Amino acid sequence: MTPAALELKSRTEKGGSGLVRAALIVGVPLLLALLGPLFAGEPGPRTASFGLGGGHWFGTDFVGRDVGRQVLLGGRSVVLVALAATALAYLVALPVGLISALTRRTWLEELLMRPLDVLLAVPSLLMILLVAAVLTPGPVGLAFLVALVNIPDAARIVRAAGAEAAARPAVEALRLQGETWWRTAVGYVGRSATRTLAADAGVRLTGVLYLVATAAFLGVGVEPDAADWAVMVDRNRTGLFVQPWAVVVPALLIVALTMGGNLLVDSALAHRKKRRHT
Amino acid sequence: MNTATETETDTHAELVAEIEGLRVEIDGRAVVDGVHLRVRAGTVTALIGSSGSGKTTTGLALLGEYPAGARVTGRVRAPDGLVGYVPQHPGAALNPARRIGALLRDIARTQVRHLPRRERARTAHERVLRSLALAQLPDSEALLRRYPHQLSGGQQQRVVLAQALLLGARVIVADEPTTGQDALTKQRIVERFTAVAREGIALVLLSHDLDVVHALADEVLVLRAGRVVESGPAARVASAPRHPWTAELLAADSALGRTESHTMQADAEPEPHPHRPAPVLTSGPLTARHGRTTVLRVPELALRTGESLAVVGRSGSGKTTLARCLAGLHRDHDGLLLLDGTPLPRSLRDRDRDQLAAVQYVFQDARAAFDEHRPVLDQVARTAVRLRGLAPAEAAAEALATLTGLGLTGDTVRRRPDRLSGGELQRAALARALLARPRVLICDESTSGLDPVTRRGILDRLAALLRDRHDLSLVLITHDLDTAALADRIAVLDAGELVEEGPTRTVLETPRHPFTAALLGRTRRAPSGRTA
Repeated sequence: MTPAALELKSRTEKGGSGLVRAALIVGVPLLLALLGPLFAGEPGPRTASFGLGGGHWFGTDFVGRDVGRQVLLGGRSVVLVALAATALAYLVALPVGLISALTRRTWLEELLMRPLDVLLAVPSLLMILLVAAVLTPGPVGLAFLVALVNIPDAARIVRAAGAEAAARPAVEALRLQGETWWRTAVGYVGRSATRTLAADAGVRLTGVLYLVATAAFLGVGVEPDAADWAVMVDRNRTGLFVQPWAVVVPALLIVALTMGGNLLVDSALAHRKKRRHT
Repeated sequence: MNTATETETDTHAELVAEIEGLRVEIDGRAVVDGVHLRVRAGTVTALIGSSGSGKTTTGLALLGEYPAGARVTGRVRAPDGLVGYVPQHPGAALNPARRIGALLRDIARTQVRHLPRRERARTAHERVLRSLALAQLPDSEALLRRYPHQLSGGQQQRVVLAQALLLGARVIVADEPTTGQDALTKQRIVERFTAVAREGIALVLLSHDLDVVHALADEVLVLRAGRVVESGPAARVASAPRHPWTAELLAADSALGRTESHTMQADAEPEPHPHRPAPVLTSGPLTARHGRTTVLRVPELALRTGESLAVVGRSGSGKTTLARCLAGLHRDHDGLLLLDGTPLPRSLRDRDRDQLAAVQYVFQDARAAFDEHRPVLDQVARTAVRLRGLAPAEAAAEALATLTGLGLTGDTVRRRPDRLSGGELQRAALARALLARPRVLICDESTSGLDPVTRRGILDRLAALLRDRHDLSLVLITHDLDTAALADRIAVLDAGELVEEGPTRTVLETPRHPFTAALLGRTRRAPSGRTA
């Protein structure tokens, strides 16, 4: 209970070093995924499975292909499908969530949200497998499918984050000014929910990557021996103790992609907040 | 309340917190500059000054809190973790998702760890009830089950005070504790704080309510633009102010109290109007509900063109609900609203542009009513763009003119709301409503967060508006009878019922209802008690 003396220092702000670090972590797998196929070159002759050396930097995989080349080729499908699926999910979830957060018509809210709840009750992987069994989708179909199973979650979060902002006097003041729906919903409610949504988007991307990878592993959307990071992790598991690189490299790239994505969003938000206050 | 003997002992009381040469700088602008403050146990130290003078920044410094991005120099010494803070808008300090009981039990639970397990819950509950009783919240069992948004502003504040008391704070910083409180509650708060101080807790009062400062404070510091212009024992500062600014503050306050000579009443005074103007806004018998509870029941009300109506009542009496019903913000009522004889949609969202512009509402909590991401000027100007179809540049120019007229500089209003003080935002909120050229302006406690000088300025400005614009009618929601006295008519609400309504003079001089008399008795006594 003795009064603690506290000396006050002037507070200096930190630079955006966190931002740079996060950009590096996410940049390596992203660039590798998008530009890798350009540098992959022609396939060499197949050699022994799970071999090391012999001109192969990262050894060979379960059918004797060069792991380095497979890594270069295998990112594009995973990354593009995951990014497209996340973006698609939000494309639907944002308007649905914002409309139901801002409407005073209960029936409209019910109409928008209840069908999504039904979708939410079905396990996502089961859903993907079911649809895949009937339609046998390609990568584009897979992106749509993964987006579909993510919409209910995302819409609920948009609605919850939006409902809090929509109940503030600021929204009443905007309505009193006759402000347009767009400016109220996107300009204020959406903007107030940005932090929550950014955090959710980071987590969701991770979940989507996992789902895309799992689907790929189960043979949905990709061939079982395709050059795909997720497929590589699965197929090369058997040789993990003989030739770890075939699993470790693609696995690390997926981890870096998801973790870096989260860090990037976090530090970008923190950076913006700091700039606003100085 | 502070007798001579008390002030004698004060100087020997234990020094619990101290600020030396505090300077807080934001964007190179000093918000607080060279403030010295000593807080002694069992005494009340009041910081007075107009809004934006650095009262809150100084008060928060005792908690070790500073505005984000601020450069701070100086020394602050305070008991670690034992400084309570009762903010101006207490709603923001309470977790909206948890019941009052849970919020208080969280604090109480940490204090009963030493007891045997069986007794903990009961003891914690007792402590909670005791702190609520100390903070003057009767009927606490029912209150514990409610959520913060189900309480009135006054009740929320008392819950926050109860939290601080429960914590066992040595110092309590109270930011405008009487703002938004009716006269009767204000009197109780003064009594409560006196008792708090008597228990040896040091109280730092940030206020521009000079009545309360006089009744409570032992020491007074007068702040202006972040600097202490005068300090000393409360009695000395009140009777013989040394700085002209202090004198001005005191003068503005006493001028506000003398209502009879005021202008707003003057032109509407002749009681049977030569020709009574047509009512601009009428409401049929109106019953408003919050969920299943009926919170308001008022018979027919009519507001005539050019008239001002004050709605008076204690906190929680339903006066804000009435205002929100008229403004279209509260839909859950069955009253029929007529604007110029044509039905006005119950909900704001069904009103067209002209109807929106005709009835404007100024929110009680101005800070919450602004978008924190955009500069204030832009937000104010949007009213004219949306409701009057002005070009953005034109609207911005008009907004700037209106804001300047209310005493805000162009430099200030180009900032985001978090850089403005509560009083500045309240004026900006008024400007935002005025830009619609409303025919009915509803002000919900719009002057309660302001210091006497600014409050007087705003009320004069409203009076001038009423004089200049003959088509403007005013509804003043207030707990303060001095403010209400400026209106033509007064409606008194008690527990959701309209107990009395009539011309201001009649209501104030010959109140028919005992509640009005009680409300009147309290406010009238306070000023006479202190000037003696």
